[in-house]
This record gives sequence, structure tokens and C-alpha cells, in this order.
Amino acid sequence: MATTDSIDITAAQAQPDSKTRRYDRQLRLWAASGQSALENARLLVISGSATSTSVLKNLVLPGVGHFTILDPANVTHRDAGNNFFLEGDSSIGKSRAEEAVRLLAELNEGVEGKADTSSLEHILDTNPGYFASYTLVIAHNLEPKLLARLSTLLWADDTLPILVVVNSDGFLGEFFIQFHEHTIIESHSETAPSLRIDKAFPALYDYATSLDFASMDPTDHTHVPYVVILVRALADWEAAHDGKAPQTSADKKAFKEAVQAMKIKFDEENFDEAEAQAYRCWTETGVPSDITALFQDPQLSKLGPTSPPFYHLLDALRQFTLLPPHTLPLSSTLPDMKANTSSYIHLQKLYKTRAEEEKATLKGFLTVPIDDAMVDSFVKNAHGLKVLRGKKWGALDAEPASLASAVASSPKAAATHLALSALSSVSSPTPSVEALTAAAQALLPPGIELPDEFSDAVGEIARAPNADLPNTAAFLGGLVAQEVIKMITKQYVPIDGYCVVDLIETWTGMV
Amino acid sequence: MSTSDWQDRYYDIDQVLNTPGPRTDPAFLAGDGVKDFLRNQAKILVIGAGGLGCEILANLALTGFKDIHVIDMDTIDISNLNRQFLFRQKDVGKPKAIVAAEFIMKRVPGVKVTPYFGKIQDKGDDYYLQFNLVICGLDSVEARRWMSATLVNLVDPENPESLKPLIDGGTEGFKGQARVILPTITSCYECSLDMLNKPTAFPICTIANTPRLPEHCIEWASVLEWPRVHGEKKVDTDDPEHIGWLYTTAAARAKEFNIEGVTWSLTQGVVKNIIPAIASTNAIIAASCCNEAFKIATSSAAYLNNYFMLIGTEGVYSYTFEHEKRDDCPVCGGESLELPISSEFTVEQLIELLVEKQDVQIKKPSLSTPTSQIYLQAPPQLEQATRPNLSKKVKELVSEGGEVTVTSTSLPFSLSLRITYTN
Ligand SMILES: [Zn+2]
Repeated sequence: MATTDSIDITAAQAQPDSKTRRYDRQLRLWAASGQSALENARLLVISGSATSTSVLKNLVLPGVGHFTILDPANVTHRDAGNNFFLEGDSSIGKSRAEEAVRLLAELNEGVEGKADTSSLEHILDTNPGYFASYTLVIAHNLEPKLLARLSTLLWADDTLPILVVVNSDGFLGEFFIQFHEHTIIESHSETAPSLRIDKAFPALYDYATSLDFASMDPTDHTHVPYVVILVRALADWEAAHDGKAPQTSADKKAFKEAVQAMKIKFDEENFDEAEAQAYRCWTETGVPSDITALFQDPQLSKLGPTSPPFYHLLDALRQFTLLPPHTLPLSSTLPDMKANTSSYIHLQKLYKTRAEEEKATLKGFLTVPIDDAMVDSFVKNAHGLKVLRGKKWGALDAEPASLASAVASSPKAAATHLALSALSSVSSPTPSVEALTAAAQALLPPGIELPDEFSDAVGEIARAPNADLPNTAAFLGGLVAQEVIKMITKQYVPIDGYCVVDLIETWTGMV
Repeated sequence: MSTSDWQDRYYDIDQVLNTPGPRTDPAFLAGDGVKDFLRNQAKILVIGAGGLGCEILANLALTGFKDIHVIDMDTIDISNLNRQFLFRQKDVGKPKAIVAAEFIMKRVPGVKVTPYFGKIQDKGDDYYLQFNLVICGLDSVEARRWMSATLVNLVDPENPESLKPLIDGGTEGFKGQARVILPTITSCYECSLDMLNKPTAFPICTIANTPRLPEHCIEWASVLEWPRVHGEKKVDTDDPEHIGWLYTTAAARAKEFNIEGVTWSLTQGVVKNIIPAIASTNAIIAASCCNEAFKIATSSAAYLNNYFMLIGTEGVYSYTFEHEKRDDCPVCGGESLELPISSEFTVEQLIELLVEKQDVQIKKPSLSTPTSQIYLQAPPQLEQATRPNLSKKVKELVSEGGEVTVTSTSLPFSLSLRITYTN
């Protein structure tokens, strides 16, 4: 034990600083790496509408680096009534961007906010390079012609910012993320990596087969971890069955009975755990199919020194899996199990040592230098890697066949999407149900009917064709901010397509 | 129109109040009547001024509720500032309800927010009867059970006004749920108790003898070492000195056992049972709650029937469904809960079972039969008098099929059990 003095010093050193304390509840979700990505991000938000400021609030609070609101408008009477980041009627007539930036920036001293009162149209005409300094652009209810120009401009080059398009009206809304490619190492997958009991590595196999269960101290016997019990039981089984694992259900039953027969007392919970986990002996550890699918990625066939590190790591992983035992590199994380401290820690060491060795093997396949933290994270999360390929905004509406299949597979969400698309394509500020229906029908291929659910959606649009409701704004503000955080931190898995929201029956769907 | 309502203040909202939509109840009276009710008559209660509460208050104020009450017993901590957007650094240490109410009144002209800095249990039926709606944004299961049961008990079949819709929201990281409870009509909070995640509990023998994880060392420091060293003094999880002591004690034990991973943050997480929380999830769930409140108060559109569950870790996944009432719900079901136990079971074991059982979870239960007291937690004299029963077999006190009534001071209802013996 350390002396009291040195304990005090440790406590003082370990105590988090005020920034860590402020962000404690979110650091538990995306850690320092995610936080640093967020703090380095620069956002451009087009318009200071209620929905836009709702999105921004949820990004300023967790500490995004910079945001700009681009909005030439002055605060109207209606803005002052439905936007929390305006000061009621005292803001009327002032610049909407400036008022919103002032009140949003108050939320977090660590965030830089800027108001730009230029018009988007003017920027698109005269200064298309304007957008390059941003990480991500968010546009709410943008005029369709400007949106089309903006999305085309940002799509032209994959170094340009991601575009998030948000459209809403009344109780309905949707949003879409335009990106070329999004790779994820830390997907926070809820499936645990394999313990590889069926393909025990040499040190684990040797340890398990060297134990003398018969002469073991009874207390130790009760504390042998189930992983070790299973490796041993499987080795014994295979020795008696031509080297084969249990296959038929009779085999499996017999194997479980053999595990139970290893008990020396009826209440040895470690053997009960082993029986419950026995399926691991006959579930072959291989490379999960969605990871194998990534090895076909076109980026791998053209891999070069300038390729992103993710693909270098993916190619190294591919080569690693070609070696026996044809698995992903071992994970060093061991779940908790019935065991005493020494046997658990010993097992943990075996896993850690082996995991380090396999990581070194994988690193041997790398042809470019990549920092250790990234390699560590890649190996640790290898079972949950993801590569998403996005589409240009508007691509869906330009492909009648895709829309038709969306109508068939998710009619409710597709109906709402079509109603919102129809609203932006008609020019009248108070369109009729008939005009909106005709506009939606025109998007579908000939002979394909609008889904039954369309009338519910279009009726809502016609009822309130121009309503940015505070609750809808707040709901979308939360959803959009959440997806933006996932895009920026490259953690968790963002949406792929349109996320559609109906706040009458309260559901969300994907198209 | 009140003086603070400048022209077009509600331009956006009025669009859905002036005209019905395809899914609007035919009884909806579009126009001035509904606006007057919402803006001049409706009285709404918000429970909690934390992560959800701040969002709820802002949304309600913007949608036109002008008479809002809020209850919260907490004060502001620095770790609230990443999401509780009505609070600033200078507010740390002040009562949440009061600061939140002042902020809303300053930001949204003409809205009156009445704060109460205290417990929901301080208030009685007369208090709750004055509201049209209650929205709950709490992280405490205990408080939500109390609120739900209180509103169910409040319902008087002779008086339709006594039925107060309860809208309940909750979040955890990227996940959350919102639901509409119509007391006595739909399932209540108690009905869905079995949907809660089981809290991780570490067996005391693991903590004492065979630690394997950093969490085991932290539990050792807080559950065993703290009372041994500090006696009666309780751990104050908000006191950095206390956390520091637990951290160094846990770290020393971890070192002794070669266990890695005891950090300050983990220590705090384990002893405070910290749940990750972010602004965006709270915004989604609070918006959903307020939207239901708005639709119920105005009848402008159909409302949620009755449970919305959101999982935002992989894409946006949500599930909307009707949660069904449980016939044996002790609050709204009426039927007693059938409980088969071994005839060897002692009263003490029965109590342990009631504490742990997923659909019961009653802390410190007192037990009685229609004719006798089995075990009472309080007052001390009765506790002492009934204590000898703890080691008796239940069968000696309750016959096959016999009724046992379970009560607890933390809950405003009693649970009725029908005991059967499995052997
Ligand atoms: Zn119930």
C-alpha cells in the first residue's frame, strides 16, 4: 500500500479538469477521440430558422469547434414567436443570423460562432470556394433551385463538405445526408468479438490441457474460468472423436453432459457457465460475412500510398485473414466470468499477449506508416468495421424505379417523403391537395400508384404548407444533430437514405 | 389575445389550429376556442428541470402554453452544462427549477413558469388536481412510479376532470422513449416495469474475495471499505474528496490484484451509477413529449398510442407500439399477482425476491395478511415486534392461495400477492 501522502497526490492528479467534468456525460459515449473530432469540426448552417437553431443548439452544447449561420434575413414577427434562439419581440427587425449566433454562442464559451448575412445565391454565383473551409453544411427548407445548385457543387469533389438536407412542414419532416464515402472503425457494435474457444491459440490450449482437474484444490476447481473449461473439454472430446468438434444434437448433448460431469460439487457455477456457453465450441469462428464483403471494396484494388489509412488497414486485415486460423485478430477484451482473481488475470494475460502478437502480424502487412492508436483501435473494433457509400441529394427522386420500390417496401415513409418532395416542387405558397398529388404522382413511373398512406401525408401538407412548428423543429433538431455527431466523430453508424418523421402517430422511418 | 402576443407570434402554430388535418378528431374545434384554451386556460405541470426538463419547458413555452409549473429537487452541477441549456457556469449550485423558470420567462415573453424546488412527494392530491396535463422528464424510476401511481389513484370515475394525462420521457445515451399514459385507461408506468434494464449488481463475495474487474475494486472501496473506515458517515458522491478517497482506495486494491483500468471517471461512473446523456437525444424525446401534450391539449391531431421507443446507435431506428395494461398491475390492474414459491421459503427470502423480481422491484417492502402483520419495516417498535418472523417459513404464516399485501413507504400503492406453493 502506498503512503497516505502519495495517495493524496494520485487523487489530485487523477481528478478531471473542468472541461472533462463539463463533458463527462458525453465522453462516456464518444471518448476523447470523438470529442477532439467534434472540436475540430466547422459547421455552416443555412438559415436561422427554428429548425436550424434547434440543430445547432445540440451541436454547440457538446462543443463543436465553429459554426456559421448564413442568413441575409431580418427577424420577422413569426420568427420571434417560434424560435427559442431569438429574444421574442425585442429581436424583431434585427439580423436573424446575428441574433441567433449571439444567443447560441452563450451556451458554450468553447465554441466559436459567426453570423454571415450574405445571400447563398450571391455566394454560389461569385465565390464557390466559400464552402471548402467547412466540415459539414446543413440546409433547412432551402429553396429547391438553390439546394440543387448547392448539392451539385458540394458533390463535385469528395474533399468538399458533407451536406445535410433538412425539410419539414407541420408535423412532418425528413432529412438526408449527402456524402461520398464514410468509413467507421468505432461502430460501437453490440456483438462481442469471438473468444476463439473453437480455435484456441497455442498458449491457451497448452494452459487448458496442462491443468490437472483431478488433483486440483477444490477451491481452485470452483474458480477455473469457463473459457479454460471449454477449451479443455473440447480438446478431450476431439481426442476421442477423430479430432472433430461435437456436430449432431446428440453430440452436443453428450458434450454438455461431459462438462457437467467435470464438477466435483453440484454448485460449481463455473461449470454451469461453461455448459451455457458450450455452443462456442461448435460455432466456428471465421471472418464475419460483412467484413469479408469489405475486402471486395474497389478502394483495395487501387490501393496506393495516398489511399486513406483505413483502406491500408483493411488490406492488411484481408491479408491477415488469409493466414490460418482464418479469423480476425484476437481481441484482448475478456468478458467477466466466474473465476478467482489469479486465474482470471492469468487468462486475461494470455489473451493480451496473443492479441499483441496478432496485431504485430497485421502491422507487418502495412506498407505505409500508421499511428499506433489507430492500429490499436482498428484491431480492437475489427468485427464492427463499416464502409458506407452515399448518394447525391435528389438522386432518389430522379429515379422513378427506386421510388417505386420504396413505395412497395415502406409505403408509409415513402408516402411522407413524396408529399414533402411534392411540396418543394410546386410553386404555390398554398398548394391544393390535387396539385400536390399530381406533383407526387409525376415522380413515380407510369402505372405505379401512390400508396394509400399518401392521403394522410398530403392532407397535412395542404393543411399547413408553411409551418415550422417548435416541437417538430426540436425533434428534427435532435435527430439531425445526432447524425451529424456520428458523421463528424466517425463513431456509431449514421443513416443511409432519407430519415422520415411523422409526429402525428409519432414514428420515424427510412426511405 | 394577451398583450405579449404580437401579431403573427403564432403564425406557424396557428396553421394547424385553424384547420383540421386528415388524422384530426372530428370533435376538434378549429380556431379561436382552441387557441384560447391553450394560451389562457391550460395549466401544465413539468416534473424535472434537468436534461429533459429544460427542453420540455422551452418547447411548451414556444407552443403557447402560458401557465407552466415545474418541480425539481436538484441543484445545478457542472456536468449538467453539456445539455441542460437553460443553465450557465454562474448558475452552478443553484436550484434547477428556479433558474429554469426565470430563464424561460425572460426568453419567452408572457409565459408564466412557477417553480417548486423540492420533491414531488411534498405535494398532495389537491395540488395535482389543478393541472390539465403532466409531463415527466425524470431519470429516477422511483419518482416516476410514484407520479404514475398518484395520477392513477387520482382518477374519480364520477369526475372526468380528475383524469390527468401523463406523458413520460426517458433517455440513456443515444436511446430513449416517450409514452402517453391515460391513467386507468391505458397501461401505466408500473405496468411496464419489466421493460427496464436490470441494473448490474456484483455479488458481494466477488467484491470481497475474487475481484476481476476494475468495477469490483470500486465496489469494494465504496461498499465495504468506506463504512469500515468512516463508520456511519455516508458517501457523498458529489464531494470530490469522497470520490478521491474511493478512487485511491480502489486503485490500491486493483494494484494489489494486478487489475487494470481503475480511473477517476470509472469510479465516479460506478458509485453514482452515471448514465451517459447528450443534448440531442434529450431534444428528440422532449420534443416528442411536448408534441403529445400539444396534440392532447388542442385535439389538433391524433396522438401517440402509446409508446415510442428510439434507438439511435445504428442509423435511426424507432418502434411505435401500444403497450398493454397488465391485469396484475398493482396500480391499475386490480388482479393480485400470482406468486408460486417453495414451501421451504422463509419470509426473509420472500422479501429478497420482491426486491429483485423484475415486475415488482419494491425496496424495503412491508408484508401483511388480511388478519396479521408478517413483517413491517417501520415504525421501529413494530419492526422489532415482527422481526422474529423473518426466519420463519412463509408457509407457517400464509396458507396455500393466501393473500399477502405488500406496501412500501416509497410507493403510494400496495401490491396484492396470491401465494401458492410449488412443493
Ligand atoms: Zn398499471
